[in-house]
Amino acid sequence: MNLQVLTYPFLFIALYFESFLLVTFLSGPARASRGKMIKPFAMEVPRVAIVVPCWNEETTIAGTVESLLELEYPKKKLSIILVDDGSTDGTSLVIDRFSHHSQITALHKENGGKFTAMNLGIEYAKDAEIIGFLDADSFVAPDALREIVAAFNDKHISAVTASMSIHKPRTILQRMQYAEYSLAITLRHVFASINGLYVTPGPFSFYRRFIFANIGLFKHAYLAEDMEMAMRMQRAGLHIGNAIRARVYTKGPPTFAKLIKQRVRWTTGFMRNMFFDYRDLLGVKKNAVLGILVLPLGIIAIVSGIFLFLLSIFQVIRHVIHAFSMTQAAPLSYMLSWHSSFTWFYLPITVLTLLGVMIVAGTFGWMIVGKRMSRTPGKLMFSMVLYLLLYGIIAPLWLMRSVSDVTLGVRTTWR
Amino acid sequence: MSIFVRNSLIALLVAGAITGTVIYTINYLNDARIAELSTIENQIYVDTLSLDTQFSLLEAAPCDSVASSTTLTGELADLGERLSYAESQLGTNDSQVVQLKKQYSLLEIRDYLITKELAAACHTKPVIALYFYSNAGDCSDCDKAGYALSYLRTTYPALRVYSFDYNLNLGALKTLIAITKVNGPLPAFIVNGKHSYGFTSLADFQKQFPKGTFASTTATNTKP
Repeated sequence: MNLQVLTYPFLFIALYFESFLLVTFLSGPARASRGKMIKPFAMEVPRVAIVVPCWNEETTIAGTVESLLELEYPKKKLSIILVDDGSTDGTSLVIDRFSHHSQITALHKENGGKFTAMNLGIEYAKDAEIIGFLDADSFVAPDALREIVAAFNDKHISAVTASMSIHKPRTILQRMQYAEYSLAITLRHVFASINGLYVTPGPFSFYRRFIFANIGLFKHAYLAEDMEMAMRMQRAGLHIGNAIRARVYTKGPPTFAKLIKQRVRWTTGFMRNMFFDYRDLLGVKKNAVLGILVLPLGIIAIVSGIFLFLLSIFQVIRHVIHAFSMTQAAPLSYMLSWHSSFTWFYLPITVLTLLGVMIVAGTFGWMIVGKRMSRTPGKLMFSMVLYLLLYGIIAPLWLMRSVSDVTLGVRTTWR
Repeated sequence: MSIFVRNSLIALLVAGAITGTVIYTINYLNDARIAELSTIENQIYVDTLSLDTQFSLLEAAPCDSVASSTTLTGELADLGERLSYAESQLGTNDSQVVQLKKQYSLLEIRDYLITKELAAACHTKPVIALYFYSNAGDCSDCDKAGYALSYLRTTYPALRVYSFDYNLNLGALKTLIAITKVNGPLPAFIVNGKHSYGFTSLADFQKQFPKGTFASTTATNTKP
């Protein structure tokens, strides 16, 4: 049996997904979302609070706060709440240095987990109409909050997400993530336009204050409190939007071990929330985008990522064994040389390669769209090449580890 | 109709249209491959007939046909490689591939007979190897044997190798198998009339050939 046939269903699903992206990208809601322009400050702008939960972030927290202080927003309307969640490094001292600032409130508490720090921040943001959060390793563009607030002009929107990218990517893995985040910008923009988001990421997501009163505060949620909150909002029929030009930059894990750790936390968080607490969202017609398309595709992505990786490994091993057996038939020098004439006849074009090339080209196209639409700075070309070379090898590793951890009940840790 | 349902249906149409276009393109390409193989076979058929006729006409000086025979065998080798590639793309059971293999096998048999006649008339001693293989999954060493013969043909062009699919349903081939008395396990070889079966290594395989074989130069063909 030709094992390549097994890849065809996954290729078709990927092609369908990209087609759906294109159609929805061109549809009215997405176009309207992109068309929203920030206006000069009107007399009345909502009062906003930004909560920054910190735990052992002494090297990045100062930059995070400084970027918040540079936000283009009336100072009287913006408060910044720094919550030290029992750091054991110098984070506490760093945030205290900012406590004299009129916009800043510095809080200290015993370590209880990120969600407890976020909830304490909400308590202190009593007068804010809109409450946002920013991870302490992230930085925002000066106009980001104006873009976010403009997105809240739509009365149906209860939460708004930003466009994340990697802050000054240096290592190979960070550059790979830069391409990945560029793709995610497009995905978030498109699916927000039809209310298909299931995560409001830690870096710079904002909520109308009333939703915490209506559906509750953040929970532990298997260390994926941002995902759980978004799922809870979807269950309650609330809409999550996106401000594509609200740029926020986060520190991508620079090493393999840290990247795997982060992604296992994300993936196990998705799986545990999805299968243990929010299974009712699957297949639900009330929000068909999420229940029939996005969440099932999230599960298919995990299954296909692992399956295609294992299939590739199997094929590679098979070819290596075959090549090794052929060394009995001819010298290695002959095996490594090209024997056939170079004509179109021998072009290795198959249904698999042609569909594969189209899907990769489409993915690259969406990365470029994401970068351009969000006006994210940086060079994408080299990152896309790294993404092509590495992502298919590295991602299955965290997917397999995640499936294993969830199956065996292994507890996930933050770092 | 909701925007989700509408977009889902359009996306399904788009994905279906792209997939259909890709499948059509690949089929078109494979048809073009088959057409090219057919053209080459027709050309070789004409060349074979021409050589046969030339051989008959030049009864007084038949050895003048040797050069033409050598060229023809080279063309057959190229056709064999293309046919092998087409078979890997389209599958061993593809009816067009099977038909082309039958025609190819006939051309090989004809070339084999001409080579023998020329050798007898011109008192030369070419090294001729007949190779019988199977694609039916019952010959684990056929891949290696075919590859070894390709290597030997490329490196030592004096060899004339004729490869035959043992299971091909072709009368002339069955007759060849019967008169050469190939009855052992595959892969089977007949090198200058001497039978051998199975494949272990290139070194052992080379021992089947007459001494001095791997120093002369003539073209041959390989397994399709």
